This record gives sequence, structure tokens and C-alpha cells, in this order.
Amino acid sequence: MGRVTRSQGTDLPGTIGLPLALVLVLILAGLAFGLPRLDRAVPAERPVAAGEPYEVGAGVTIVPPPRATLDLTGTRPGQEQGSALFRLGPVQYAIAVQPFDGDLTAAAVRLRQRITGRSGYQVTGTQLAVSTASGLAGIQGGYTAGDRGGRYAVFVAHGFTIEVTVTGADLDLGRTLPAIDASIRTLRFEGRR
Amino acid sequence: MSSPVRPGAVRAAALTRQPAFWVVATLLAAGAVRISQITGRFLDVYPVATVTAILLFALLAVPFWLFVSELDFLEREPPSLRVLAFAWGGLVATTVSIPGSTALENLIAKLGSPGLAANWGSALAGPTVEEIAKTLGVVAIVLIARAQVNSVLDGVVYGALVGLGFQIVEDVVFAIGAVAMAGQGDQVQPVVTTFLVRGFLAGIWSHTLFGALAGAGIGYLVVKLDRTRGHRFAMAGLALIGAWASHVLWNSPLFRDGLGDGALALLAVLVFKGLPPLLLILFLVRRAHDQEAAYYVAKLATLRDPELITAAELRVLGSGSRRAAARRHAAAHVGRRGRTAVRRLQRAQARLAVELSRASASTSAPCAEVREHRAALVELGHPEAVEGTRSWRHTASTVGTTAVAIAVLWVALSALGGG
Repeated sequence: MGRVTRSQGTDLPGTIGLPLALVLVLILAGLAFGLPRLDRAVPAERPVAAGEPYEVGAGVTIVPPPRATLDLTGTRPGQEQGSALFRLGPVQYAIAVQPFDGDLTAAAVRLRQRITGRSGYQVTGTQLAVSTASGLAGIQGGYTAGDRGGRYAVFVAHGFTIEVTVTGADLDLGRTLPAIDASIRTLRFEGRR
Repeated sequence: MSSPVRPGAVRAAALTRQPAFWVVATLLAAGAVRISQITGRFLDVYPVATVTAILLFALLAVPFWLFVSELDFLEREPPSLRVLAFAWGGLVATTVSIPGSTALENLIAKLGSPGLAANWGSALAGPTVEEIAKTLGVVAIVLIARAQVNSVLDGVVYGALVGLGFQIVEDVVFAIGAVAMAGQGDQVQPVVTTFLVRGFLAGIWSHTLFGALAGAGIGYLVVKLDRTRGHRFAMAGLALIGAWASHVLWNSPLFRDGLGDGALALLAVLVFKGLPPLLLILFLVRRAHDQEAAYYVAKLATLRDPELITAAELRVLGSGSRRAAARRHAAAHVGRRGRTAVRRLQRAQARLAVELSRASASTSAPCAEVREHRAALVELGHPEAVEGTRSWRHTASTVGTTAVAIAVLWVALSALGGG
């Protein structure tokens, strides 16, 4: 084995440790802050065809409300599960489909637990039965989080749970809920293709 | 031919005197604050599940830590740097990866399509951000303690420890995510399921493995100084790409459909997606280990002093399995004290080999240490730390353990695969 020469001893990344450490910080900052900033800079909303069924995932479709846009950050269609996030101005309208082996009551309990598990969220009022035009039976209720309100609905069909959550300021919700309720009634399970 | 080991300084400069150390320390502190905030929220909502997840995945870290320690037997890395590597993975790399991966997956959805993000988002975004963030941990070690990275194997050790830290924290986050998703309150069942899937079945194809490969590249970059800088950077880049590609393959939707459900389908996924990178990386790690071991054993062979090391002990010292066999043989021959004495002798011989590699170092202290442990062995009536003949008890134990492991694996596959 040969001796380590002075030039080898001062080769990268020896004596220039501090500048390289700062480069390292820059790369980490790029990953932690730069990528999210770039993500925010690229528009997330896309128009959706009015009156056309949109496939959420696992064979579940819904007709979005008029003037709704699709938010790509919350939309992930898939064969076994899927999610779609629509926006009506400041109101968020999310649908999630997942495999589920329980009944409707268990699905409703699970969704309520998830809602109340978030800091500041509380379920309000009583639950009501809801159904869709295709015959899916579900349960719906409301929740609140500070100055924001929300509505949830849950359906169980063919080994899947379909969870709907609507969130927004009370005024905005009051304005958009009729269109969203109409949209929820278009939920349909068409089976996996 | 280049040497597999570039001996470090006799005494590395104190970490705190390196300006880069304070940069790394600040990053670690920021990561610790962020991960503490996340853990605090978990403890607030799911205290039992969170404590269970931390305990279970901390236990999972033990075999990995022991394996890496055994790899690192001959030229041990300082505990402070090993802990620093682990902390980088668990605090810094995770803190960076959580927002970075989410943003990159969103960008895939926006610039590609939501379908592309659903299928390939986790396969492309996670590995891209995570492998870079983890590899920077090994770079950080080089920046603050370059003298301690003097073989490719050292890069493997630090890379594996960074990956291990990342894996443990990520697994805890996933476990609590599963608890929240289950929507049944503070239950431990989703934690146990996550432990079985991510810790037991998928544990081997993990960040520890990917980190080891990327770390080997950094080790090559700083050790192989007889190669051109371009060549060394290319090799380091290749190792990082290899770690990324292995991670992408493992996260990819390939084989997810088409093989059906059940234990056999799950086993096929593990074999097709996990086995090729696993074997490749284990082969490279073994090669790096053997090269380092051959270098240090050759140093000891120059002593030609059987009181320090015998010809048979030279053969034993270079292999982890033979070192363990020599300890077992001593335990069978003269009891637990024999096992301990052999381990101490092996450690002292390893320290002597490292001192011999440093031309300027004095070897009188490590020589005296070896002689002291040799005397202890002689006193026990077991003068040489060598392997014995393979006992039927050890063979039966190996066969039994393998059978139990296969049975447990099959039960886990059947339970999780629905077969």
C-alpha cells in the first residue's frame, strides 16, 4: 500500500468541509422547501366535464357539481381504491373509495372517528339516512372545526366504503351544499373494469 | 492494484472543532424538533398505539444494528458517528422527505396525470427524495470525520445506519397512519399489521439495504484516491442510482396485479421485486467486507508472532461466521467465560490490525492488550481462538431456526395475502 500524499489528503471533500456542508444544506432546503414551493407554483386545478360521470376509483363514479374543478393534489384514481378532490371556490368536496369488510354502521363510526381524531374537529347534530339515484344506501352527518363547517356521508357497496367529506366556511357551504347534495346522489358503483 | 483501505489519522480531530460539525448539528436539531412535534401529535391522539409502534420498531432495529456491528467488527466506527448516522436518517432525512416526497408526487399528478401519480407516484417520488436525503447523511459524516471513512465498507456501515434510522421513524409514521385510517381509536392492531408487513415481510428490502449501497458509493469516492475524480464521482453516482432503482422497483406497481391474491402471489412479489436487488447489494457488501478483512488480516500476518495471532486465528478473524464459530467453540469447551475471552481477544487483534495499518502509530499498547487476553485464554485452558468441529447441536439449532422462520413467514404471508 502506498503512502497518502498531501494532495490526496486534501482531496475532496477534506479541507473545504464548511462550504460543502453549506451546499449540503442547500440541497436539503431544495428538497424540503424548494419542491413544495414548485408544487404550489404549478396550478393544481383542472376543469371537469360538466354533467359527465367522473371515475373516482375501484369502479365508483360521480357526476361533479356544475363549475367544480378537480384538484390534482387530492385525486388518485386506482383499481383497488381511489380518491377525487373537487373544489367549488373555497369549498372542498372529497370522495375516497377503499376496500372495506364491515357494514354501514361500522363505516360511519370509522369515518366519524377519523374526523374527530383531527385537532379541533367535532361531529355535530344527528346522522341521517341518505341514498343515491343508483340505490346506494348511506349515512350522512355534519361536523365543525372552528369557523369552518363540514358535511360527511358514507356508503358501503360490494366490499368498498365510499366516504364523502365536504369542508368550507359556513357561508360558502350554505351556497354550495344543494349542488353537492345533488352530486352525491349521482354516486354509482359500476364494478371494477 | 489499489488498497481497499486508506488508513485514517491516529487521532481524528475533535468533531466540535470542525465548522461543518455545527452545520450538521443544527440540521440534526431542526430535524429533532420536527420529529418531536409529529410524535407529540401522535402521542396526543393515539398514545397506546404510538408507544407500541415505537417499541416494536425499536426492537426491529436491534437485529439490523447487530448485523451492521458484525460487518464493522475489524475497524469499528466510533459510537458517536454511528449514532450520528442513525440520527441523520431518523431526524433529518425523514423531516426533509415528508414534504419533499408529497410535493414531488403532486408534481407528477400535475405534469403527468392523477392516474400516473396513483400508480407510480410513490415509486418515483419517495425514492428520489429519500435516497438523496439519506446519502447526504454519509456525505455529512465524511465532511466532519473524513479520517473515519477509510474503506468502502465504512461507507456501507454509515449508509446502512442512516437507512436504519430512516426506516424506524418512517415505519412508526406509517403505523400511526394505519391507526388513523382504521378509524377505531387508539388501537394497536393496525400497528401490529404494519409491523408484520413493513417490519417482518418487507423489512429486508428496506432503507437499510438501499442506504448501504449508496453509502458504498460515497466510501468509494473518498477512499479510492488512485482513481480519477471523474471515475470516483461516476461510481458514487452509479451506487446512488442503484439504490434509487432498487427502491423504485420495490415501490413500483409491477406484479401488483395479475398474480392474484394469496400467499403465493405475495411470495412471488417478494421474490421478483425484492430478491434481485437484495442479492446484488449483499454480494457487493460481502465483497467490500472481504476486501477490508483481507487487508487487515494481511497486516496481522506480518507479525509472525503466535502469541499475538496464530495462523488458524488469521483465517478465523477475517470472517464473521468463523469468528462466531470460534466463540461458540470456546463456550462449548470452557463455558461462557471462554466465549467472552475469545471475543475480547478478537477485538484486541482487530484493534492491533488497525494500528498496524497506521504507519505512524505505536503498536505497543494494542500488542500488550492482545497478550493480556491471550494469557486469559491460556489460563482457561483454551489457548487458541479457533473454530471447532461443527456440533450436532449447532446443526440442529440452525435447521430448527430455519424451519421456524419459514413457518412464521408462511403464516404471515397467508394471513396478509388472504390465502
